[in-house]
Amino acid sequence: MDESFAIKTRGLIKNYGSVRALRGVDLEVSRGEVFGFLGPNGAGKTTAIRCMLDLIRPQGGLIRILGFNPQEDPVRVREKVGYVPGELSLESNLKVKSQLRYYNDLRGNKAEWDYVRQLAERLELDLSRSIKNLSKGNKQKIGVVQALMSKPELLLMDEPTSGLDPLMQQEVYRLLREASAKGATVFFSSHIINEVEALADRVAIIREGVIVEEAEPSKLVSMAMRRFHVRFKESVDLDPLSRLEGVTLLGRSNGMEAMLNVEGEMDFLIKALAAFPVSDIEIERTSLEEIFLAYYAEDKEEAKKNAS
Amino acid sequence: MRAEFKHSLRRARGQIIGWGLGAFLYGVLMVSFYSSVESIGAELNTLMESFPPEMLAFFPGFDDFTSPVGYLGTEYFSFMPIILGIFAVTAGARLLVSDEEKGILDLLMAYPISRSSMFWGRFSAFLVTSMGILLAAWAGLMLPSQSSGLGLTAIELLRPSLPLFGVMIFFGSFGLMLSMLLPAGRTSGAFAGALLIANFLLIGLSSLNENLVPLYEISPFYFYQGSRAINALDWDSLAILLAGSSLFTGVALIRFLRRDLRVGGEGGWQFSLPGFLKRGEAPAEVGAD
Repeated sequence: MDESFAIKTRGLIKNYGSVRALRGVDLEVSRGEVFGFLGPNGAGKTTAIRCMLDLIRPQGGLIRILGFNPQEDPVRVREKVGYVPGELSLESNLKVKSQLRYYNDLRGNKAEWDYVRQLAERLELDLSRSIKNLSKGNKQKIGVVQALMSKPELLLMDEPTSGLDPLMQQEVYRLLREASAKGATVFFSSHIINEVEALADRVAIIREGVIVEEAEPSKLVSMAMRRFHVRFKESVDLDPLSRLEGVTLLGRSNGMEAMLNVEGEMDFLIKALAAFPVSDIEIERTSLEEIFLAYYAEDKEEAKKNAS
Repeated sequence: MRAEFKHSLRRARGQIIGWGLGAFLYGVLMVSFYSSVESIGAELNTLMESFPPEMLAFFPGFDDFTSPVGYLGTEYFSFMPIILGIFAVTAGARLLVSDEEKGILDLLMAYPISRSSMFWGRFSAFLVTSMGILLAAWAGLMLPSQSSGLGLTAIELLRPSLPLFGVMIFFGSFGLMLSMLLPAGRTSGAFAGALLIANFLLIGLSSLNENLVPLYEISPFYFYQGSRAINALDWDSLAILLAGSSLFTGVALIRFLRRDLRVGGEGGWQFSLPGFLKRGEAPAEVGAD
């Protein structure tokens, strides 16, 4: 029993009929780590998380959660895990409090009710309200509270801030950081680059059922291109800018405006722009989806090279 | 298991009240009418002799309509298995699959509860719910029993509840088994319900067509005693119904323990509609995320 990792998978395979959802996923998440699990829709994130809880059974490979095999000891694994599903469904005819009490009953009343109240207050969740009258965001708060309320050793969270407003997202980040500071391992999937940057110690990118990259979030962020929209006071020659390494000129408007894509460090571009009569600059960071697309593009190019 | 049992029973309160009240009122109504049936017994028997055998075939006890056993057999215990069978089939087919298809089970099964505990917690709540409804039905028969001249004791009226319970559990567990085997919950409920109704019709049809008798003799309603249980309970028939239920429950349990939990309609029926029936919707994507 390998207990040094909170999560360890080796060659994890899961097929849905002819669809190969996981094609040999290898993951190692240390205890106490905050780990971001990223990938485009349909990449296999939810499938991998559901295998870890024995909600679905893999066809091959190995999984160890806190040293236990979820296929052999699902209850022992679940005793130590708090889970937020990707698509949270609740019993609409219950009140928030009753739903949380039921969850707590299933866990042998492990959670202290004062702590549940604290969590609810911090997330501005009214325990007396009926679930059927709640917005998607408020339902998601129930998902977060139920996962945290028993202070689990491992949090498996499939897009935990989905549907929450930015203020509540920040509060969830704080709660997760606090849980991590107390020793919990946090494993979360996300589409939001700022979330990954704010929370994760390490990230893995999954694509078509295979981990294609494991890195520090800073590396991921540096891989994220930035888009510069520069306006000039007078018409300028943009060729010197387009010749800069890592810079792609996406568009120009009579030399008065330029749209530039910048990959990696932007220091050299800023310095180059200092020689131009700049009136305004807007900088936009590309999304995680665009990073995923970049991976796809790289793979396709490699496949083409291999074919030729 | 206890937490799930308690919660499932709490969720079934509406079913117990609704179906129980209905069964109670039906019993009160039927037993209350008995005094008037008894008073015109001779005329009624003459009238019934004129009824075509095709009609009489569907109502066991019609030949003895004026006795308490015959009257209850015709007016009450011949309909109760189909009425309560509909409850049982629906409740059985929805027992786990309804929450599974809504995605509720995905989170519940991430709690420290084994699949077998979840299964037995819910199944025992279903058994208790069925008993609660039958108890209400029995109370509906018993309360007006003396005043209406039916003259049956509480125990005599309780005895037919056992075969009725057997039928409910048989069809409930059959619906549950189908819900575990078929990819869509609604389909399993509809299929089990259709078999329930077909079996009910088979009672009468087999009296009219002897070729159907062998089929009837292996159907669950053949082992349902109805009002005959008032006089003496046929334990063998009851045991057969319960054995069938145990088999279906066992298959359902094994399937639930072994298969993947579905979310968001995963594993549903994949029908390919002809082009002219499609309304330009995007093809369903198989969720691997």
